[in-house]
Amino acid sequence: MENTNKIIGKGIDRIDGIMKITGKASYATDYPAKNMAYAVLFKSTIASGKIVQINTTDAEKSPGVIQIITHENAPKLNIKGGLRGGALLQGPEIIFHGQHIGMVVAETFEQATAAAHLVQVKYQQDKTEKIDFDELAKNPEMPKGKELADLVRGAGKSALAQAEVKIEEEYETPIEHHHPMEPHATVAVWEGENVILYNGSQIINGAQTAAAATLNLKPEQVRIVSPYIGGGFGSKGGQWANLVLTAVAAQMVKRPVKLALTRQQMFNSVGLRQRNIQKISLGATKEGVLTTLAHETISHTAVDFEYIEPCGDCSKIMYEVPNSLISYRVVPMNLILPTYTRGPGKSTGSFALECAMDELAHQLKMDPIALRIKNEPKKDPSNGKPWSSRTTVKCLEEGAKAFGWEKRKAIPGTHFSGENLIGYGVACGTYPARQRDSSANIKLTLKNGQVYATVEIAASDLGTGTNTILAQTAADGLGIPLSRITMKIGDSDLPPAAGSVGSVGASSFANAVNDACGKITDELLAKSGKQFFVRPTANDLMISEKIAAFETQSSSKAPAEAEQYSAHSFNANFAEVSINKLTGMVKVTRFLAVTGAGKILNPKTARSQIIGGNIWGIGMALTEESVVDPRYGNFATRSFADYHVPANLDVGQLDAMFINEVDLIPNKMGVKGIGEVGIVGVAAAIANAVFNATGKRIRSLPITPDKLLPS
Amino acid sequence: MIPFKFSIAKNQSEALGLIHQHQHAAFLAGGTNILDLMKEHVAQPTEIIDLGRLPLSTIKSTNTGISLGALAKNTETANHPLIRKDYPVLSKAILAGASAQIRNMASNGGNLMQRTRCSYFYDINMPCNKRVPGSGCAAMKGFNRMHAIFGWSDQCVAVYPSDMAIALSALNANVKVMQQNGSERSIPFTDFHVLPKDHPEKDNSLNHGELITSIELPKNNFASHSSYIKVRDRNSYAFALVSVAAGFELEGNTIKTAHIAMGGVAHKPWRALKAEAFLKDKAATFANFIKAADLEMSSAKPLSHNKFKIEMGKQTLIHAFEVALKG
Ligand SMILES: Cc1cc2nc3c(=O)[nH]c(=O)nc-3n(C[C@H](O)[C@H](O)[C@H](O)COP(=O)(O)OP(=O)(O)OC[C@H]3O[C@@H](n4cnc5c(N)ncnc54)[C@H](O)[C@@H]3O)c2cc1C
Ligand code: SF4
Repeated sequence: MENTNKIIGKGIDRIDGIMKITGKASYATDYPAKNMAYAVLFKSTIASGKIVQINTTDAEKSPGVIQIITHENAPKLNIKGGLRGGALLQGPEIIFHGQHIGMVVAETFEQATAAAHLVQVKYQQDKTEKIDFDELAKNPEMPKGKELADLVRGAGKSALAQAEVKIEEEYETPIEHHHPMEPHATVAVWEGENVILYNGSQIINGAQTAAAATLNLKPEQVRIVSPYIGGGFGSKGGQWANLVLTAVAAQMVKRPVKLALTRQQMFNSVGLRQRNIQKISLGATKEGVLTTLAHETISHTAVDFEYIEPCGDCSKIMYEVPNSLISYRVVPMNLILPTYTRGPGKSTGSFALECAMDELAHQLKMDPIALRIKNEPKKDPSNGKPWSSRTTVKCLEEGAKAFGWEKRKAIPGTHFSGENLIGYGVACGTYPARQRDSSANIKLTLKNGQVYATVEIAASDLGTGTNTILAQTAADGLGIPLSRITMKIGDSDLPPAAGSVGSVGASSFANAVNDACGKITDELLAKSGKQFFVRPTANDLMISEKIAAFETQSSSKAPAEAEQYSAHSFNANFAEVSINKLTGMVKVTRFLAVTGAGKILNPKTARSQIIGGNIWGIGMALTEESVVDPRYGNFATRSFADYHVPANLDVGQLDAMFINEVDLIPNKMGVKGIGEVGIVGVAAAIANAVFNATGKRIRSLPITPDKLLPS
Repeated sequence: MIPFKFSIAKNQSEALGLIHQHQHAAFLAGGTNILDLMKEHVAQPTEIIDLGRLPLSTIKSTNTGISLGALAKNTETANHPLIRKDYPVLSKAILAGASAQIRNMASNGGNLMQRTRCSYFYDINMPCNKRVPGSGCAAMKGFNRMHAIFGWSDQCVAVYPSDMAIALSALNANVKVMQQNGSERSIPFTDFHVLPKDHPEKDNSLNHGELITSIELPKNNFASHSSYIKVRDRNSYAFALVSVAAGFELEGNTIKTAHIAMGGVAHKPWRALKAEAFLKDKAATFANFIKAADLEMSSAKPLSHNKFKIEMGKQTLIHAFEVALKG
């Protein structure tokens, strides 16, 4: 029977909200350390070649300078230790513009910054540098990764020839940057042979093992402390050179060291979302039944390591189609390594796929919602597994009703409001639902007749509300009021857990805490030696058995049966845009995301997650683009004056709805994850709305006013 | 940022005295531009002279119009009842720029003196004639989407970024300047900013060490028929791709005189003289608006990434004319 007192599922405020808005929550740079020194990185100004000479004479004489560290005096590190993006000062080779080539450690940040500008570097430039994507993309290479091999179903793309109706178009998405509110920063404090690294980390244990391996230490010699993180969006998933270089600096100057990247340095220090050219070919019958779907992507990656976001993922599973091809080609470039970026592959991939579906619907004179429903797959087309549950149709239908989809004019360019054109667009999205191994520790104490719990887990909270949902989970699992629960997360000394990446955080952490609650209750029951008609809570048992203190730890993994199913979150996005017909300026006046993500642990934090994803999706659709200068390999857009994240005026009314869904297949709690899916399909919904408003199909993001000028 | 000395000037003559003692000294008003430039090592003054205490922040009526103190804040200026009533185009232009926080800090004098937003100018590793004369212009063959289509030279293709100044240009303002000896001179707004020619390091006709004391606005009779339209990559907090300040002195439906200036297209506020001449004594019709806009844009010389500014310029002119006409 449902316990109506349950706090899971209630939209309570973040338990650490007050700490944050009053500045009491400590982020990486907030950790005080006695005798702190400050490190500032300096970077290469060529994209490819070699350092011939670094002259640090002037810099060393600059006030406050303690030490200058370059490849000439840096200790030997293990470059295969699991950090991303290299740049560990291990040699004179340069492989991208803005690669770290050294750091100044000084008494103050300002002194280190001033001295860093006095370092003189001579390079030998490699003229065969690979920095012009447009040129390179003409001759892309086969990817090395097996997961990126061509995937052909049925007759593959060749079936397109027989299709009654066809769409064949190319869609382009630019480089984007994560730019979390909190730039990457580390404070390193050595204690003998061990080092503590205060550093925002989406995967606490991952950061620990990578840092340890790179520093040639044992994992237990490295402690990562990261209770609060000011966003990451993937850029704090894998860790980058700055984490370990801070430890190196602290070791060399024998003092605690703080290293904070500047906003500018964020452009070439911690990854990016790669630029893609995606070709979509759709074949269908006149009735709108899909017969062919080919999704061919060209992306760039780094010269020393291959990573690309897989743009074809959505196309694998979204529609029933007998013949399909998913392929990748890559262009190694002298640019920083691309990395996981919110909705990796799915946000960019869905832009191409869902715009193409809209183009097909238009050509067929079909409603785009009807076209999608018509091609709804009964089971996962990529592997034949049954869905654990699939909410696409519900999302579309409930969303259409709530959004007023019937007011959409089928003929583009016919809906006016004063001098503005109005358009409606829809697009779907998906993201896998997974649970990863995690463990949790629970400590109960009885004080003055009240039970207090401390929940310990090396989980991370990106600002999304992990702390809060885990406290809610523990409160219900133990029968203890929320106010008596203390959460301890974000520290590698705590029981190991998965990360806040790939939408696995909530399901992995919450199931671990929930299982630990079950286990501690079982153990208390056993300890009591009594039989109960109604299972008592841990709280009841602690009181009735007068137990002063009790503790247990448990580990959790995904249910074995989960493997037999295909489990995903799904969404449908609805956008209304208003476009000035003369100037081409677009405003998203209304946006509705309807999401089926299983159990929603806290509707308030969940809504924030979804609308946060929607806002980045608006940025992706309309404003965000990092431009590489093909002559130098640097970013021509190098500050927030040029890299436009959406401002308040760009964002109209946002609404998030959740499908009431119980799906206990992927994990016991039925949590499917919302972090990534919030951005998937957003850009496509907006681009489709722009088409509906203007009749202009913009296949290259972002949709800036110049692309919408009357022609 | 390199270390610098900080002094506070108590009055105009002290400010002028201090700046003349040091070749590498600079004034500080709101600091929203000079401090950014210092952090980026684009500006490297060794002495900063804070103007904050100077009694130059009043906005007052004069016999000839209105006088805006050089240190009056952008916010205060935009929201001043006299400005809203008699110079709404100025109010709108200021409010179309930056963000509320920056406008709260930004001074009127500093706004005129703000430097280009060319990203190569800001990147000290790039060639830039404006920053380092003779080093070359990275934008000329680079990413020049934001750059000029009028009046550029082979030395520099940057645009001047201020919104406020576009309105001031259309309003025929004068910039009052104090020289070291305490004497004042007045510079007509159209002559204040200059085209890059062979000296892109020079943004304007102010000499080193001169102090802007006020901006004088003459009376106008197009307050009820004026507009400021700014087209940008996002709906707020972005510099103009193209902007237009327009004002019509109307007699019935006839335009007696048109006052038109464009932003985002040149190294200085671009007075649309051709469009102004065409519209003089013409009927305020859509057809004439199109002709005037076409005529003005016909002499534009786009760069590799900004051809769109010609069409955008036309559309923005037309839009601004329509809004000005409606009043
Ligand atoms: C993120 C951002 C976005 C912006 N967006 C816009 C925009 O969209 N539109 C727009 O128009 N502007 C925009 N701005 C620019 C802003 O308007 C200017 O920075 C501001 O007006 C400068 O005024 P200030 O008083 O802060 O000048 P300061 O930074 O103090 O000074 C700027 C320069 O003027 C000189 N100076 C100041 N006062 C005097 C004086 N009385 N006499 C002689 N010289 C003087 C200083 O020495 C310095 O060289 C933006 C700025 C930022 C940082
Ligand atoms: S356009 Fe002017 S400011 Fe920009 S790089 Fe060229 S010279 Fe420098």
